[in-house]
Amino acid sequence: MRRCSSRRRRRRKLRLVNLRDEELQRIAQRLGREPSVVELHAFDAAWSEHCSYKSSRRFLRNLPAGGARVLLGPGEDAGILHLGTHDGERYAIVVAHESHNHPSQVVPFEGAATGIGGIVRDVLCMGAEVVAVADPLRFGRCDDLASHQSSVARGVVDGIGAYGNAIGVPNVAGDVYFERGFDENCLVNVVALGILNEKNVIHSYAPKGAEGWQIVLVGKATDPSGFGGASFSSLTLDARDAELNKGAVQVPDPFLKNVLMRASYRVFALLRERKVPAAFKDLGAGGVVGCSAEITAHGGYGARIELDKVNVAVEGMPPEVIAVGETQERMLWVVPPDFVPELLRVYNEEFGLPDVACNARAAVIGEVTAQQRYVLEYRGRVVMDVESEFLTGSIHDDLPYTEKIYHGAAAQELPAVDLEGIFPRVLAHRDVCSREPLYRHYDAVVRGCTVLPRGAADAGVLAPVPGSRLGVALAVAGNPRYGRIDPAYAAEQAVLEAMRRVVAVGAHPIGLTDCLNFGNPRKAEQYGAFVAAVEALARAATELDLPFVSGNVSLYNETSAGNAIPSSPIVACIGSIDDIANVVTPGFKAPGSALLWVGNRELVAGGSVLAELLGVKGTLPNIEYDAERAALAIVRDAIARGVLRACRVVADGGMLTAVARLAFDALAAGRKIGAEIDFGNPLCEAGGFVCEIAAGSGMDVTGTLQIGATIDGPELIVNGTRFDIERLHEIWSQPLAQLYP
Amino acid sequence: MSARIAVPVFPGTNSEDETLRLLRDCGGDAELVHWSQASQMAQFDAFVLSGGFAYEDRIRAGAIAAHDRMMDYVIEATGSGKLVFGICNGAQILLEAGLVPGTGPIRRPTAAFTRNGPAPHFICRHVYMKLAIEPARCAITAALPQDALVPAWAAHAEGRLAATPEHLSEIAAGGHLAFIYANANGIVDPAAIPNGSALGCAGLVNREGNVLAIMPHPERDAWNFNHLDRREGEDVLAPSGGSILFHSFIKALSS
Repeated sequence: MRRCSSRRRRRRKLRLVNLRDEELQRIAQRLGREPSVVELHAFDAAWSEHCSYKSSRRFLRNLPAGGARVLLGPGEDAGILHLGTHDGERYAIVVAHESHNHPSQVVPFEGAATGIGGIVRDVLCMGAEVVAVADPLRFGRCDDLASHQSSVARGVVDGIGAYGNAIGVPNVAGDVYFERGFDENCLVNVVALGILNEKNVIHSYAPKGAEGWQIVLVGKATDPSGFGGASFSSLTLDARDAELNKGAVQVPDPFLKNVLMRASYRVFALLRERKVPAAFKDLGAGGVVGCSAEITAHGGYGARIELDKVNVAVEGMPPEVIAVGETQERMLWVVPPDFVPELLRVYNEEFGLPDVACNARAAVIGEVTAQQRYVLEYRGRVVMDVESEFLTGSIHDDLPYTEKIYHGAAAQELPAVDLEGIFPRVLAHRDVCSREPLYRHYDAVVRGCTVLPRGAADAGVLAPVPGSRLGVALAVAGNPRYGRIDPAYAAEQAVLEAMRRVVAVGAHPIGLTDCLNFGNPRKAEQYGAFVAAVEALARAATELDLPFVSGNVSLYNETSAGNAIPSSPIVACIGSIDDIANVVTPGFKAPGSALLWVGNRELVAGGSVLAELLGVKGTLPNIEYDAERAALAIVRDAIARGVLRACRVVADGGMLTAVARLAFDALAAGRKIGAEIDFGNPLCEAGGFVCEIAAGSGMDVTGTLQIGATIDGPELIVNGTRFDIERLHEIWSQPLAQLYP
Repeated sequence: MSARIAVPVFPGTNSEDETLRLLRDCGGDAELVHWSQASQMAQFDAFVLSGGFAYEDRIRAGAIAAHDRMMDYVIEATGSGKLVFGICNGAQILLEAGLVPGTGPIRRPTAAFTRNGPAPHFICRHVYMKLAIEPARCAITAALPQDALVPAWAAHAEGRLAATPEHLSEIAAGGHLAFIYANANGIVDPAAIPNGSALGCAGLVNREGNVLAIMPHPERDAWNFNHLDRREGEDVLAPSGGSILFHSFIKALSS
């Protein structure tokens, strides 16, 4: 075994390995010797924050993750939720949520593209067909189109589009905010959904009786790209190191992925036909070692891997690069030996991987062992030999954190508002204006099962089972204006907003995922923000009886100056629809309908776009779960009775923005319908829904809920002030058109 | 025996499943043919080339696939009068193979569907294609009404028809301009063109009328649930909208 001399170890430690001294000592102590170079890199990846969740796991345990809908909670590549029944078969939605923040900041196109590539593999590896992606994005200020921030914002969108479009997965949801807190550290979160028959779940661990089964690596030839990626993701970005870190970013190949996905679908069909059990897992952080160690260790096994059998792109790569490099487009199967020829035939012959990308293939690289040791051989020598559990499951950090009260009760009251002057500014605000210039670069309709494409409504909706009336809705939320003020508050609002968005299209919320983007856990205050947000997520999810079935943590999002990003707990909500005929379609339907504002209608402006434009602090709206549940019940009752004609949530830009967007949506469908409203300050954005309720619905709309009515013609009359809807639409449509031509 | 339709799958194709599904929902006897089984192509009576990024759009969209072995069969079928229908990447492949407008030699394209303009980006946008020929001029459109308006989604980075001014005149005068972009009311309007395509071209037909190549995807606005404005009283799972073109194609095969 090639050992590190202490001099070499120090040098490597400084340049490449981010393990801390106490961690190195612990490894040497447990092994009873100095670790080999390969082992050092393997532990560096496995014990990175990115792979091990060492400083977040103890808090994430508190998130509710169970319930009647949950087939699989956090722990494997993705979570699984029961969707519904069609033709006597039970179908489930697979969901995964991740970040690719640091790579995207350094190499925006590749970083974002590989983000989509990775999340798609996570869903695929549960045995599912991938049906949708979503992309919550946070960029710095892009007012200067020539700025670095603008080139990041463009490169990320180009990368997401290039990858998702090519593999043929529609992008149906997402959001974007531009704010100075992300100037040096953008956030690129990605969500993917898959559909499967519940009988066909494939797990990410070797099943019972897997001793002696073969470990088959599938995909792109391993190359030196992405070496040190997991470890890099767990560091604070330093502009001076950006150039150096480029090598840690992987290279996307959506063309190969397209073929890999289709070949894997074929393998799924064969496994079903022949009733062969198997395990399947994505190679992400930690590469061959990370994946093969986990897929075997989580089944209670060990593994013996021959590194020489890994197909490589270039000869002469050091074994540690082959072992932990994070080359994209690779996956790992654990299958019984008699299925191996068939597996190799599908990938290498039927789908001709070696012809699709240079030296891409499926190859047996090792086998599952009963003894729980992880052993790597290279050129006839053992280069790694450790206890599996010690590598994959033993690291945790109990770091100190600060508990803090973030916001007090009342702040300033709102000054009187000149609606005529300010509402157009609200609509043109970077957090409110149309996102179409961005998302029109994404294919929202490939697969032909899109019911509501990106932008058409508050959530994307798909009919994922051909021939069935079942639907699934997906929405994301996470408001950085709240994140700046209070991480816990932002977390609760993210859950509420994501859930409301799904409800607004007529879906029943069934589960959540989260990506927690925070600062440096080694700074007590920044770590404290993370801890407070997780507690708040747990509170909201418990109150609303929704499970978190998968998620991701991205820490060390701070700049070289040591400032954390605004706390960014980003939440996705999945909703089920029993019959897509009942989906709430976009835009006002008819004049003379009642307009209701259902939900929290507090006239306070804390964290709102209005408060920012006026330069006031404002009071944050209260979060009251009883009221929230009551609001949901009203909206769902209106849908059940068939009287809800249109609906949008009240979010960025307030109630009036929601009303205007319902008018814009109608305009896009050729209906010139406006609204007349009389209600307090309509730019407050405490929450809830704006609902168009059919005239003569029988619903009691006479109470305090009603704020006005729809009218004939493209005009918005608000507390006596008149706006031309076509003019407002122009103002709202333009701002991002230059950044995204 | 009904005509058998092949939906060829090249490495990089991504719309084969929904294309197949719609063909079947419209009564077609259709199957996928994978590139590793190219010789099976000989058994089919008609071909529908679906969307995607065959061979990663290297050189130019469709350029490599046009030289794939699978296309030998399609080219031969075209010569014997079989129906060939290409959508998006399928249309690009047919153009690169010289099958539309079909005025030059095989595999020596005379025009291209190339980088969108003015912004050279992928665009995903709902559009309408208006039939710009007599329906019977093309066998695949024969069952459509005059001036038929077909809803569809443009979803491509390379959909702008480009050719020399002389060749564009030839395309227009020769009746090759099968579909043009129009607005929701069927009015031809520059704002309705999503990609800067010359002549407002959304689709081309060959001289013989058996090869049709369209850039937008009617199969993505083809079931009632795909429409943002669903008509009341119609089943959400029923084919509608863009499916009229597929119905016309199937009808041409059975007549």
